[in-house]
Amino acid sequence: MAGASVFFQCPTLSNPGDPGSVIYNGTFADNVVVDGMIRADQGEILNPVSPRQVCVHLSSGDGFVNMADKQLDPDGNGMGHEQYMFGFKNITGIPDAEAMLAGMLAAEFPAPTLKFKEGDEVYLSLTNVGMMMRPDLFDPHTVHWHGFPNASAIFDGEPMSSVSINMGATLTYYYKVIEPGTFMYHCHVEATEHMQMGMLGNLYVTPAQDGTQKSFGGRTYSKFAYNDGDGSTGYHVDFPVQILGFDSNFHDQHIAVQPLPFAEMYDDYPMLNGRGYPDTVNPAPLPNSFDGRLSQPIPALITANQGERILLRLSSLSTVAFHSLTVQGIPMQVIGEGSRMRRSFYTTNTVTLGGGQSMEVLLDTQGVAPGTYFLYTTNLDHLVNRQEEYGGMMTEIVIQ
Amino acid sequence: MDLYRYRISGALLLAASLLFFAATGAVAAIDGVTGTSFSFTAREGVIANPDGSVIPIWGYANGDQAVQYPGPTLIVNQGATVTVTLTNQLAEPVSILFPGQKVTATGGASGLLTREALPGGASQVTYTFTASHPGTFTYYSGSHSDLQVEMGLVGALIVRPAGYDPQNKATWTAYGDARSAYDTETLFLMTEMDPELHYRAGAGLPADTTGFFPTIWFYNGRAAPDTMAPAGAGWLPNQPYNCLPQAHPGERVLMRIIGGGRDSHPHHTHGNNFELIARDGRLLESAPGASALLVADAPVFGTVPDLAVSNFTQAVIPGATYDTIFTWTGQGLGWDPYGAIDSACTDADHDGKDDVHGRMCHDASCTDTNGDGFDDASKEYCADHGKPFPVRLPGQQDLTFGQFYSGGPFLGSAASLPPGQGGFNPAAGYFFMWHSHNEKELTNNDIFPGGMLTMFLVLPFGTDMP
Repeated sequence: MAGASVFFQCPTLSNPGDPGSVIYNGTFADNVVVDGMIRADQGEILNPVSPRQVCVHLSSGDGFVNMADKQLDPDGNGMGHEQYMFGFKNITGIPDAEAMLAGMLAAEFPAPTLKFKEGDEVYLSLTNVGMMMRPDLFDPHTVHWHGFPNASAIFDGEPMSSVSINMGATLTYYYKVIEPGTFMYHCHVEATEHMQMGMLGNLYVTPAQDGTQKSFGGRTYSKFAYNDGDGSTGYHVDFPVQILGFDSNFHDQHIAVQPLPFAEMYDDYPMLNGRGYPDTVNPAPLPNSFDGRLSQPIPALITANQGERILLRLSSLSTVAFHSLTVQGIPMQVIGEGSRMRRSFYTTNTVTLGGGQSMEVLLDTQGVAPGTYFLYTTNLDHLVNRQEEYGGMMTEIVIQ
Repeated sequence: MDLYRYRISGALLLAASLLFFAATGAVAAIDGVTGTSFSFTAREGVIANPDGSVIPIWGYANGDQAVQYPGPTLIVNQGATVTVTLTNQLAEPVSILFPGQKVTATGGASGLLTREALPGGASQVTYTFTASHPGTFTYYSGSHSDLQVEMGLVGALIVRPAGYDPQNKATWTAYGDARSAYDTETLFLMTEMDPELHYRAGAGLPADTTGFFPTIWFYNGRAAPDTMAPAGAGWLPNQPYNCLPQAHPGERVLMRIIGGGRDSHPHHTHGNNFELIARDGRLLESAPGASALLVADAPVFGTVPDLAVSNFTQAVIPGATYDTIFTWTGQGLGWDPYGAIDSACTDADHDGKDDVHGRMCHDASCTDTNGDGFDDASKEYCADHGKPFPVRLPGQQDLTFGQFYSGGPFLGSAASLPPGQGGFNPAAGYFFMWHSHNEKELTNNDIFPGGMLTMFLVLPFGTDMP
């Protein structure tokens, strides 16, 4: 290839009978992207190289989000403090020629959730669209699939031991997904800066056992956290909940093109899935005050019908601190951590996660009265949106 | 992409890797002092850090050698009667606690937690204990601990199990049986510092630890990138230990992790999960000898105690110790991490080198006579043998290259890099970052990268580990 280029790789076979006839910019059916991915098992790829092929295209760049301090908004417009950020955007299905424009200033917080199935063969293309608001920066980016078992260096996204993608070009990662579990992903370039700036997201893998019927504890399940063999990790509804935070001083200094205050880093906007309470329970995508883009699309509201088992896929990508989470009124059964089913389960009322830790927790709502329950951090100083109290790292569990 | 791949001759590769290791001082065992009788002196000193800062410390010195941070790693044998005699050259009383040991203290003066050595060097304390239990332990000052441990009076204690012989790899275990067997071991003593406290205490001024705000973080007393510098480097006279884990595919890496400071840290391993096998010197077992396979259905990796916990990030809390076993093979990548099969290569003896020319090469065979799914010698995962690399990489002008990148995606074969790029990976290994995942801790007084960070190296099969 001559010159920098955008190149969304979704390889297909030019001759369906010849596994060697691979073309890398393959063809796929138009307008069939229903889950943000192009999947062979949904018939969206013509002549796929693998029956479980999945193609995803992310852009990396910058953008803006607003914090949840609508009452004590330091910006004075009632939308909450505006924060400059780096982030990802799902641009799957957009033609290469339009990909740069689609990704510019389109960063989302958190990053688009990536949900795969055990057995998938994932081609994840990352296009670096550059940082529009910081034209003085030439930062490359990566995707680090945090916790990927038996990783290779080239697809690990850790830039010191491999490569990272420059502005205006695309790097495609390949993952053969052989283990279920709750992982996470983030950019690993200048990790302290790019992660504090918001290049963080949920990533999880559902097990091959899904779709089979297994009875456990008097109930029958068809969805499971792991290939447990006995239905003990079965659930009815699952929710990824990621611990995140912004240090407003760091973000404000960044957009002001000032030296970055690493040593002083302290998250005064603690969040779940990129929002502080009460934004966490707003089901709508939230616009920013910079250009009105819906840059916070993911709520953290948890809903279930009485009697259902809820699987919480907890992870932390805090860059600063450990956090404990509690659920008031519903015991928390810990069934997995580090993307592996635990050899023994235990029940508790609090779990603690530092940056880079994940945990699966089952909440059994059988016998739990309908109503609103709270999931929040017991690091009580983090129940704030900077100056505004009754906020921060908290969300609601609504049992109907 | 126009990757021009080339193979380096085995001899050149070995020479290059030796050059690399001469520059980094890598070893497969943990540095420390061995024996049964030790003499420590608590003294003032300074450490030097990658950001240019020079920070006063109080540390334990081995006899009249240089004061060091952390203190000397005590490596003793199970059953030994260990004595540590402490002399104090600091301006305030000092002592040593050995959590997990039954200690008798004699001499010195009575202190709150144990007997103390008084300032001036006049009164010595002798601590005596029987190292009854193998494992990973810590020691630290029991006097004015909030300041003295922060100042550097902390170290590691490793008790080798009965039967351990440093010359006989078959005896290398952490706890005396196959569940804790290892091929290489590395210490991760995790600490942090608030330099302001050190400047004040070092100047003899009152140092109030309630305002503690750390700005630099350490593995084994060094902040990155010094974690990867040679052990015993002359330019780090008071920080003798490095932190450079390494292994060949399929080998078992024992991580001995210690929370040595006052903060908790999430220790993350890129590359694979590990199994936590012991906590505070005790195996995680339901009954003596109870075991589980390290990786389900793959007995090649051996066993772990039955209550071991798999994870990719270990929460390390103050004062606690953790032993974990890590392995890496690249199993299940879906492509051959050793690259395309070299039809000109014949490696009938499966040593990773051509039988005639001795060069590193990847031949057509993957020999799995015991049916565990892996090549008997190299631990290559046979199901992926010969599978093509699945994507096209962008051209070099579109990429930024890491200094630990060999130039290509394959283990054991380097490829061309732009001038001035890469260079730290002549053996074409796979490097994986092992680090604190509270990413703030990857800085040295406001400078990224640094702090609690090191690189784990997967050495290609057939490459010697010095």
